[in-house]
This record gives sequence, C-alpha cells and structure tokens, in this order.
Amino acid sequence: MRSPQFSSLVILIVLLAVFAIADANFLSPLNISNMMAFLPELGIIALGMTLLLTAGEFDLSVGAVFGLAPVVVMLLVQNGGFDIGVALLAGLLLCIAIGAINGLIVTKIGISSFLVTLSMLLVVRGAALYITQGFPLKSWNQPGFFVTLLAGSFNIGTFRFYTSLWWFIGLSLLAIYVLHYAKLGNWISAIGSNRNAAVARGVPADAVKIWLFILTSVLAGLAGMISAFRISAASPVAGTGYELEVIAMVVVGGTALTGGRGTILGTIVGALMLRSIRNGIVLIGVPGLAYNIFVGVIILAMLILHALLQKNAARS
Amino acid sequence: MEVLRLQNLQKSFGSVRALKSASFTLNEGEVVALLGDNGAGKSTLIKAISGVFPVDRGDIYVRGQKVSIRSTRDAMDLGIETIHQDTSLAPDLSIARNLFLGREPVNLKWLGVFAPLDLARLRDAASALLKRVGISKKLDADALVSTLSGGERQSIAISRAMQFAAKVIILDEPTNNLGVEETHGVLRFVKEVRDAGHSVLLITHNIHHVFQVADRIIVMRRGEIVAEQTVAGTDLLTVESIITGADMSALLKETRAK
Ligand SMILES: Nc1ncnc2c1ncn2[C@@H]1O[C@H](COP(=O)(O)OP(=O)(O)OP(=O)(O)O)[C@@H](O)[C@H]1O
Ligand SMILES: [Mg+2]
Repeated sequence: MRSPQFSSLVILIVLLAVFAIADANFLSPLNISNMMAFLPELGIIALGMTLLLTAGEFDLSVGAVFGLAPVVVMLLVQNGGFDIGVALLAGLLLCIAIGAINGLIVTKIGISSFLVTLSMLLVVRGAALYITQGFPLKSWNQPGFFVTLLAGSFNIGTFRFYTSLWWFIGLSLLAIYVLHYAKLGNWISAIGSNRNAAVARGVPADAVKIWLFILTSVLAGLAGMISAFRISAASPVAGTGYELEVIAMVVVGGTALTGGRGTILGTIVGALMLRSIRNGIVLIGVPGLAYNIFVGVIILAMLILHALLQKNAARS
Repeated sequence: MEVLRLQNLQKSFGSVRALKSASFTLNEGEVVALLGDNGAGKSTLIKAISGVFPVDRGDIYVRGQKVSIRSTRDAMDLGIETIHQDTSLAPDLSIARNLFLGREPVNLKWLGVFAPLDLARLRDAASALLKRVGISKKLDADALVSTLSGGERQSIAISRAMQFAAKVIILDEPTNNLGVEETHGVLRFVKEVRDAGHSVLLITHNIHHVFQVADRIIVMRRGEIVAEQTVAGTDLLTVESIITGADMSALLKETRAK
C-alpha cells in the first residue's frame, strides 16, 4: 500500500484528527457544511486538471475562466436581456473556445502549455476586468431552474448540502471511469508517459490533448457558475490564484507533474486536504495573514513524502 | 514476392535533406539490413514508412499496390509494425497495457474512446504472449514497464510487433544497450519471424549481427542509398568501407604491402 493516493489519505486523516482535537467546532455540522460548499468548486476544476496533467500538460488559465464565464453570462442576462439558458450556452461556447485555443497552440504550434496558458490567463482575466470595468456585477437574485440545478441546497438533518456536491461526486466517478477503466484513459496515460510511443501506436495524441484542454476550461467555467449562483454575484476577480491551488490539490494527491501517472482518487483526497487545511488553520487560530505559510509548508511536506515513496518503490 | 517497395522517397527538415532519394524493395520472408553512419538517414527512412511523418515526395507500394501512409495507424493497418530506436513503450503503463496500446480490447465497442477496457482479456492475452516469446517466467503482465530492464523492454516491444502478425517488421537498432544473452534473443527472434514468412527491415550498427541474420544489405550515406548487396556476395570489410565511404580494403592492402 505504498501508492501515493494512499499515503495522502493517511495524512488527510491525521490532519482531520489534529484539527478535530484542536477545535471541537471543526467537525460541527455547520463547519462540515461550509467545507462541503467550497469543496466542489475547486474540486471540479481539479478533476479536469488531473486528466490534463496525466497527459503531460497543464492549464494556468482556469482561475481566470472561473471568473470570466459567470461575468459574461450575467452581463448577457442583465444588460443584454437574454434568457438565462441562452446566456449559459454562450458561456459554455466561450469556455470551449478558450480551451480549444489553448490546445491548438500547444499541440499544433508546439509552445509549452506553461507559456500558452499563462498568456491566456492574462487575456481572460483582462477581458473580465475590461467588460465589467472592474466592478462586481449587481447581485443576482432570481432563483430558477439553472440556479437550483447548479447551486441549490438541501438539508440532511443539521447538515446543509449544495447540489454542487452531487456534481462533484458524479464528475469524479466519471473521471475515475475514464482515466482508469476506459480506452481513453489508457491513451491519456500513455501520451503523458511517452508521447512518441503513443503516437507510434496510432494514438491521436494532439486531438486527445485539445479535448482535455477544452474539458478543463469547461469545468472551470462550470465551477465559476456554481460559485456565482451560490453567492448570487459575479466578480471579475473571482478565482484569482485558483490555478495554483488546483494544481496543488492534484499533485498533493499523487498525480505526477511530469505526466503519465494520474489518480483521481488522489485528487479528491488532495482537494479535501487543502480545503480542510484552509478551514482548520483558521479555526485553530492561526492568524489569517500567516496561513499561506502553513498551506505552503504542508504542500511541500506532501510532495517530499511522495518523492521519497517513489524512490523507495524504485529501489525495491 | 515483393512486399514493400519504395520509390524516390525524399524528406527534408528545413534545410537538412535527411532523405535525398531512397528506393528499394523488400521481399517476402527476407531480412534486409539497413546500414549507415550516424545521421545517414536510416531512422528518417523508416519513420516515413511507418507514418511518423509524411514524405515530401516519393511513392510507397505494399504488395504492388500504391499506398498513402499518412499516420502511424495507416502503417499498422497495412501490416507494417515498427520498433523505434527512441523506445516504443510508455514506462508508466503496465506491460499488458503497453502490449495493446492503440489496439485495446474493449467491451461495448460503440462507446468509442469511452469504451471500457476488457481488463481480463487484456491480461490473459498479455500473459499468453509473454509466454510465447519465452519471457514469461519472471514478468508479470501487470508490472509497470518502468520497472523493467532495457532488454526486457525491447522484448516487450518485439513481442508486440509479433502479436499483430505484421507483414513487415521494422527494427531500429533493437540490440542497442542489450546484454549478450538479450542480443541473441533478439537475433533469434528475427530469424523466427523470417521463417514464419514475415519480412524484416533491420537497422543496426553491428555488422557482425548483419552477417548472422540478414539476407541482403542496403547501405545509406548522407540521405542516399549508396549500395545494395546480398550477404552471400560480400564480406565484412567491403561493407565497412562502403559505410564510411573510405575504401578500407585498399587501405589495408597498402599497409600490408609496406
Ligand atoms: N525531426 C528532425 N528535425 C530536424 N532534423 C532531423 C530530424 N530528424 C532527423 N534529422 C536530421 O536528419 C539526418 C538524418 O537523421 P536520422 O535520424 O535519420 O539518422 P540515422 O541514420 O538514423 O542515424 P543514427 O544511426 O545516429 O540513428 C540527421 O542529420 C538528423 O540531424
Ligand atoms: Mg537512427
């Protein structure tokens, strides 16, 4: 049981125990409900990022897409007078376009995904700021089918859950199936592990990568919509810094940054871990300004652990 | 009978004319050795045949039919299996998954790329294949390729080519980095494949191997085929001198005369 997702799970349990002992409120229904409300938003993006990283690429523009998609949708509804369904479709097409541009430039022109998606981050974030003139949009207060679908909430006993949790669970199961049990998953891992070998076996590596860029972008837009519906507002700076947080979730879970080895279960554990760390260190009284220090140290510790396990496995 | 014929294949990378003009014929049940110094254009030639990249000009015929090979998939479908010099395997995948990469056995085929792998069949077929190639005793079909030695990896790549009963098997320096025993294994395999009626195009820098297994020799220099001879009609020294471009036998006579 030396697999990376297993060691991450052990550490997650230890962390949860530490937080629970340090502060009784950590496991209170209210706090658990809170964590579960935030979890899907980054978690959904992390699923796409896991597949992309496994194929050997990554996407830094997800945080910006998370911000832009709801801004565009809400502008279309509020200022353009469009139906919410039409606006959402436009938002979806926008995300597809952003992902396709990322993917096409990376695969067909051969520029590293770091540079391409970093530039895309600036373009997308800049677009969100420009079209809103930097101001958050008027609050959004029309419950409706799509709002319920993405961000409705329900109570189970004293726990309050959002429908986004079901989205996260459903998408997680799909991602597990695709990566570990479907033909496509075999291709994704092979492309990230040795692209030339995969291409030599007739695997359409470029097409797979382009679709994964599109998927990641669409999931980032979906997460942005969920968040905007939940708080009934869209801000052009929403999602700032999420790209790094998402990549941290994925690699902490045991997916290799260099491609070839990905684990969705690990990513779920990683998402839970970062979420509970952020929540727990606030509860146990670490000063707000200091808490990135803790998050950074814990991520680093996790990565060192994975590296050591990897070395051990190679030796035995 | 002719299996593969190349006519005037040309390929440039920018200003580098890696392949100036290559023509030759490969017959059924024949082992042809492709020789030449580093950078002569051997890998470029076989990459063109196996669909890694398109040629700039020239024609390829398979069993007399003119074909267009635009992708590696095209080549595989025509029965051309290639084991490339720059390792053909994905190290993070298991042996079984590598053996069937690109041709995975699946259930519910209509799901396309989302179809579930038939893991049981994958494993069984892989084990059976490993047994056939004679490396079953230590290798587990579920082991990751990254845990294998260079020779074991080469054997896996070769058994993969065998399994799809290709008409033409192309090996780009298959004995590189291999130990003595593993090298013999590869050479034995080449003979077996030929005896089974397949054609083999073997690229190597080891002329001794050529004389052990090849029927015919083709020598390339700077993107061109400069010599074509049967193994029976030539000798080691002659071939060596053609490869380097220096007339070694003349040189040798000179030094002997002194
Ligand atoms: N993708 C490429 N882009 C640019 N130049 C290339 C490329 N591939 C090969 N070349 C050039 O083409 C020439 C032929 O290379 P090739 O790999 O075919 O040689 P080779 O005969 O296989 O040599 P070796 O014995 O070292 O493997 C070399 O000059 C090489 O630098
Ligand atoms: Mg070569």
